[in-house]
Amino acid sequence: MPVNLALGHVSNDFLIAAIVIYSLSVVAFAGDFAFGRPRRADATARVLQARERAATLAVVGAASVGGATVGGDGPLEVGGAPGSAAVPAAADSMPELPVPPLRAISQAGPWIRAAMALATVAVAAHLTAVVTRGLAVHRAPWGNMYEFVTALTCVAAIFFLFVMIRYRAWALGVFVMGAVVIALGLAETIIYTAAGQLVPALQSYWLSIHVTAMTLATGIFFVAAVLGVIYLAADRYARRIAAGRAVPGNGIMRRLPSTEQLDRLTYRTIVFGFPVWTFGVIAGAIWADQAWGRYWGWDPVETWAFITWVLYAAFLHARATAGWRGRRAHYIQLLGFASLMFNILVVQVFITGLHSYAGVS
Amino acid sequence: MTDVRAPETATADPGPPGRPARGARGLADWLRWGWRQLTSMRIALVLLFLLALGTVPGSMLPQEGADPAGVQQYYTSHPALAPLLNHLGLFNVFAAPWFAAIYLLLFASLVGCVVPRTFRLAGSARTLPPRAPRHLARLPHSAEYATTLAPERAVEVAAAVLAGHGFRLRRPDDPAQAWVSAEKGYLREVGNLFFHLALLGVLVSVALGGLFGYKADRLLVQGDTFADTASALDEIHLGRLATDSDLGPFTITLNRFTADYITSGAQRGQPASFDAQVTYTAQPGGPSHVDHLEVNRPLSVDGAKVYLIGHGYAPAFRVTDARGQVVYDSPTPFIAAPTGNLLSDGVVKVPGAQPEQLGFTGVFVPTWVDVGGTLQSAFPAAENPAVSLIAYAGNLGMNSGPPQSVYELDTAGMHRLTAEPQLLLPGQSLKLPGGQGTITFTGYVPWVSLAITHDPGQVPALVCGIAALGGLLLSFMIRRRRVFVRARAGGPTGTVQVGGLARTDASGGFEAEFASLAAELRSAHSQHEDSEGS
Amino acid sequence: MFRTKRRAVVLVAAVITGALLVVVLVAGWATSGKRDVTDVDGNPNAVLYPAGHRPLAPDFTGTTLTGSRLSFSSYRGRVVVVNFWGSWCVPCRAEAAALAVAAQQYAPAGVAFLGVDVRDTTASAEAFTRSFDITYPSVSDSSSQITLDFTAVVPIAGTPTTLVIDRTGHIAGAVFGQASYTELNTILGQVTGKAAAR
Repeated sequence: MPVNLALGHVSNDFLIAAIVIYSLSVVAFAGDFAFGRPRRADATARVLQARERAATLAVVGAASVGGATVGGDGPLEVGGAPGSAAVPAAADSMPELPVPPLRAISQAGPWIRAAMALATVAVAAHLTAVVTRGLAVHRAPWGNMYEFVTALTCVAAIFFLFVMIRYRAWALGVFVMGAVVIALGLAETIIYTAAGQLVPALQSYWLSIHVTAMTLATGIFFVAAVLGVIYLAADRYARRIAAGRAVPGNGIMRRLPSTEQLDRLTYRTIVFGFPVWTFGVIAGAIWADQAWGRYWGWDPVETWAFITWVLYAAFLHARATAGWRGRRAHYIQLLGFASLMFNILVVQVFITGLHSYAGVS
Repeated sequence: MTDVRAPETATADPGPPGRPARGARGLADWLRWGWRQLTSMRIALVLLFLLALGTVPGSMLPQEGADPAGVQQYYTSHPALAPLLNHLGLFNVFAAPWFAAIYLLLFASLVGCVVPRTFRLAGSARTLPPRAPRHLARLPHSAEYATTLAPERAVEVAAAVLAGHGFRLRRPDDPAQAWVSAEKGYLREVGNLFFHLALLGVLVSVALGGLFGYKADRLLVQGDTFADTASALDEIHLGRLATDSDLGPFTITLNRFTADYITSGAQRGQPASFDAQVTYTAQPGGPSHVDHLEVNRPLSVDGAKVYLIGHGYAPAFRVTDARGQVVYDSPTPFIAAPTGNLLSDGVVKVPGAQPEQLGFTGVFVPTWVDVGGTLQSAFPAAENPAVSLIAYAGNLGMNSGPPQSVYELDTAGMHRLTAEPQLLLPGQSLKLPGGQGTITFTGYVPWVSLAITHDPGQVPALVCGIAALGGLLLSFMIRRRRVFVRARAGGPTGTVQVGGLARTDASGGFEAEFASLAAELRSAHSQHEDSEGS
Repeated sequence: MFRTKRRAVVLVAAVITGALLVVVLVAGWATSGKRDVTDVDGNPNAVLYPAGHRPLAPDFTGTTLTGSRLSFSSYRGRVVVVNFWGSWCVPCRAEAAALAVAAQQYAPAGVAFLGVDVRDTTASAEAFTRSFDITYPSVSDSSSQITLDFTAVVPIAGTPTTLVIDRTGHIAGAVFGQASYTELNTILGQVTGKAAAR
């Protein structure tokens, strides 16, 4: 079937629009940092709060502040008045059920309202771009690197929107959306490929299954990587405060969630992405058997997908190993993402193998 | 009998599993220490890193299994470095003993961890949850509310609610103590162990396939037939425990091969589709079937799978020698050169020519253009085919010595007949100087290259892979968690305390589950308050 | 209880390992068993099958290089040397002279020679027989069907392969690879019970 060039152009226009709107949302998130209402509990206050709590635990019926909960409270506002950190001992204290998302957004302040609105519109435009590209070429729109990058950033953005709303993690918006903008910008300028047909080896319904899974997993790991970087920055800040070499100020760091929460968020993200990646590798093996006669041949791309899998498995193991939780585990996770990026950007393009379908010359 | 020296022995205990105690007995202790180290999480982590690291050279350097020509090239471009890398096994990483050592150690560590945990899991399935702690408020999740129910009654109601959610309960021996413990989520460990065992299954399946399977290649010219037997295959790689007799006795004829190319636009010249129409019989004398082989669509026959891997052109030549005899009349497969658009190189060897043997090196172009004196191909379809030949006469070196490649001409014992390459269109002939004969370019036919594979470990590996995925999902989605309820009488109303604890901070959501459980317990208690009217 | 459990674990692991070892050893041993054959002249690729251990040669019909039909069953009652060859094959060219001589020398003893021309075309094959003065007929086997049938009874791994079939139609000797005159002579001498005519 011939390629629908008009739809291809429409897809491009939507993508450009998405980039612009993402950028505006990044500005709005940054605005919240600079001008927004101060949050209830920030990284430093959490440390102090934990100490206070330890001192008051003997009191029966103390506030049901779960130090480990994310949905209930924290630096992320729950519907209710700010400043109600220390709940006085009451005969009746029940854990809070989470506030509906829209109310939480509207209570987060005008900057966040604007940023979330813009981000949602941008994601819608992004998704439209991906879908119209697929309609233009009459197949799943991830057949070459340009399409793959636009699709995975779309996945990352949607996933992150979901995470932000679920965990009220507005403070992270700047970083993830910013990363999405940069990735899309690179896609548009450096690796752009016009809509076209696929070589016969890629004309299979397995394209939809294997590459979709890889796209989803990469998008999810993208979010985890950004969160990991933020974790490392927040952890360094917390340690500097604990060592007395820094004073808790009013900057970006104060707005971020606590390191435990970032750590848990990252962990949960990777827990979500790892089975998807595993499935993608299995689907790829099935497809390889159909196309090339063997389900695993240590083709460079296969090899690096394996390395990525092993590194994320190492991350999961590290979290269960004494002395390897925290920073070290996140280094491993970032190494895993680096191997993923290396696979996409270097191995698929420069190292010849059966996988060389990047479409980039 | 009580050991009087027991306390001293206790203090002399070597302590946590570290090095064997000073003055240790020897081999058994060292082995035990080694085994404990091997099965520790730390070593598993190190082995995982080593596995990832060891795989890297396998992707950066050419490997003998996939790209033997690339290995040769590496030798020529890095003459000093290549032998050293070879000694380290870096040109065949995945078959190297050090790589095998890494993953075998990893799997030993896995088995050594999984088997005891399986026993432990089986054991814990029989043990009850622990007793409820005194201070439930210290737990990560806790709730408290007032109730007018008597403590024993409140605990009964709570137990019913928890049992309704599938928790396993523990009640106090003394009913006067009003508490209940509940635990749930044992399937998590099951999923975890299942995942790791399934990985082991994948390894075993891969090994089985490698041992008992085979891979073979055959280049087949359109119109030709071949039987799946060792001498009819171009290349055959048998697994260590496989033999030639494992080759299924099928026969395949290539009736027709068609390739479609994109004729316009930015992707002009790119292949759009390939189709090979074949007739095959599974057994000699059996019924024949017609089928289509395409990329992504292999043929299953006799337990083996036949794949369409590549294609090319075989120009046909007829050679008459000096004595007027037709000594060669056949299509000759030419192999595509990296130049592109299926410009192909090939060789015609005519050992039967008299008085001198003849040989020709040729370039076939499906759509020929003359670009500044060089012959190039403008399009991969045969829209304007031509062949360019250089003729040689002399001794081909075929009458003795080592076997020769049919794609290479050894001109050491030959002298060149034609000064310039001669271009021939279909039907044209080249008369060789000195009355040595004639060669006619009679036409061309396509050829396909087929890969025949048999891998008995394939399906087991897939099953184990899916099982591993299932175990993984199970272990990620299920949390091992405990909920405790204590009821206390005090003043006009009693209090109920609920505490919750998730054993692992896995995918989360326990806060929400605890919150809704607490709410449900509270509403159950108030319902019973109303109905019992106290 | 701990001791018993650990012992149970160790026992289970040992049993599994032992079972695996036994399986691997048996598999390796079973597939390395050799048939009851005698090497000829110390060459492991040239073998004689003792009477009672000779596989039955499959029947086949084919078209000779000159175009006529030939049926293998017409050779029943004679000793036949079946040589699988191709004009493209270097060792086949190297052994051709030995085969031609042996054919001439054993003709008075009633031994027939028959070629099976594999993956070849008529023009090249005829040029081959002309070059080496091969006077005995060859059937064309471009599709390797005849080779396939024979591979079911003897392990033909490549070209050339020479099989010596006795008067009852059973394969009495074989050379897997290039055949030398000495090997042919030894095998034919054994199978016919006669010496070569000089």
